[in-house]
Amino acid sequence: MNSWPGPENSWEGVDAYFTSANSEGTLIFWTLVSIAILVFVTWSAARHESETDKNTNK
Amino acid sequence: MTLEELTSYVVVQSATVAEAWYYVCTGLMVAIHVGFLMYEVGASRMKNAVSSGVKNLLAFAFMIPTFWLFGWYIYLAFPHGLVPMDMEGYGVPWNVSMGPMLSDQLTGVFWAAFTLFACTTASVFSGAVIERIRISSFTFLAVLLGSVCWNLGASWGWHYDGWLVTQFGYHDVAAAGVVHMIAGWFAFGVILNLGPRVGRYNADGSMNEIEGHDLRFSFIGLLMIIVGFFGFLGACLIWPGLPALGMQEVTTWTNIYGAPATMSSFAYNTLMGLGGGMIGAFWMSKGNPFWMMSGGLAGIFSCAAGLDIWYPGLAFVLGFVGGVIIIPANNLLHSIFKIDDPVGAVSIHGVAGIWGVLAMGLFASGIAGPSEAIPAVSLWGQFVGCIVMFAVGFVPGYVVSFIMKMMGWLRVPDHVQIAGIDKAELGLKATNY
Repeated sequence: MNSWPGPENSWEGVDAYFTSANSEGTLIFWTLVSIAILVFVTWSAARHESETDKNTNK
Repeated sequence: MTLEELTSYVVVQSATVAEAWYYVCTGLMVAIHVGFLMYEVGASRMKNAVSSGVKNLLAFAFMIPTFWLFGWYIYLAFPHGLVPMDMEGYGVPWNVSMGPMLSDQLTGVFWAAFTLFACTTASVFSGAVIERIRISSFTFLAVLLGSVCWNLGASWGWHYDGWLVTQFGYHDVAAAGVVHMIAGWFAFGVILNLGPRVGRYNADGSMNEIEGHDLRFSFIGLLMIIVGFFGFLGACLIWPGLPALGMQEVTTWTNIYGAPATMSSFAYNTLMGLGGGMIGAFWMSKGNPFWMMSGGLAGIFSCAAGLDIWYPGLAFVLGFVGGVIIIPANNLLHSIFKIDDPVGAVSIHGVAGIWGVLAMGLFASGIAGPSEAIPAVSLWGQFVGCIVMFAVGFVPGYVVSFIMKMMGWLRVPDHVQIAGIDKAELGLKATNY
């Protein structure tokens, strides 16, 4: 597993070529943030639909 | 230039052009989504046209991250059944394999092509539920279909090591069962619970036609879907000689199972199936343009399982039969189950998909597998594949949508449908004419 820029800012040994590739914890963090965004947006859309239901029914 | 330098140059060029191939096919597949969007917007009434389009956009947008989060992993990890293989972290989103690598520049573009396959699967389902499904519910179900169900079916029947392939010789190179059957029958499961649009059925059980607001959108949309399918089908082929796949010695295109294939067969049979399907539906519907265009799609799907091996004349006949059967099948489904499938998705994808998978067993039994360890194609193997693809689509579609219905999280309430979803939920209207 490698990161870029590498420890010596060298191409030597670089393989994974993206931010935080050397930190699995950071990758898990961004994964969880992505999941949270998807869940939140779906929940938010469902709430808007329920409010529309109530408002249209008046 | 030395021989070593030349060899290195050729390997690099081969890999680079292969990557470009899948990258371009991925872009071309976006046309499928333009097509589905226009088709469904046109098939919706004016008061729901915008929300139909929003639904398509959301399916596309949600499929991408969810396919990255777990869809690709499911495809890779489950070829042997319901127990995942130990891949030492490969394919999970926090593993370096799910980001760009200098040593492996192919996986990313493969992932992109598969992501668009997943988006296509979700879009197939989309048309069946227009004008009465909650957008949030649709998004959830689209993710279930495109990033879970389809992936499982593909892992079993569209993977060189899938159990349907290794034990039954299942052959479905361009996804008649894996994409179209699963999506079509998933849609059927959902619309059984979703119910019809307000006004579709009368109290005596008779059915009313609900016309879309602009047939021109639907025409162009259906043609765009066909354009996009050339990208879809092109990406079903494996580029020759890829070092990353250990295929340096392979000098021809292969199908997804690793057996030799030709782009010629894909070109011949896609076009012949398309023509056959349009003509069949033209004859059966007595010239209805909606069914002619849908028949063209059904014709392609009718040839899809054996797109790599059909004689073009037979592909035309298969397409013709596909174009003919979708119309009575659609009528039958509506009259028996009282469903409301405004675009005929269950018939065009689900029924034509069955025909495509079974046609492979009927007309190509005995075709050898990619290796001696793989059974030859048989009607039994294709039949088993059919049952599995139906179940992978229908069961989760029905069960999950039933639970959502019980939760009150599936259907737009009737009074909102009557008011129009665009105005009530989005505060918009499609056009001012």
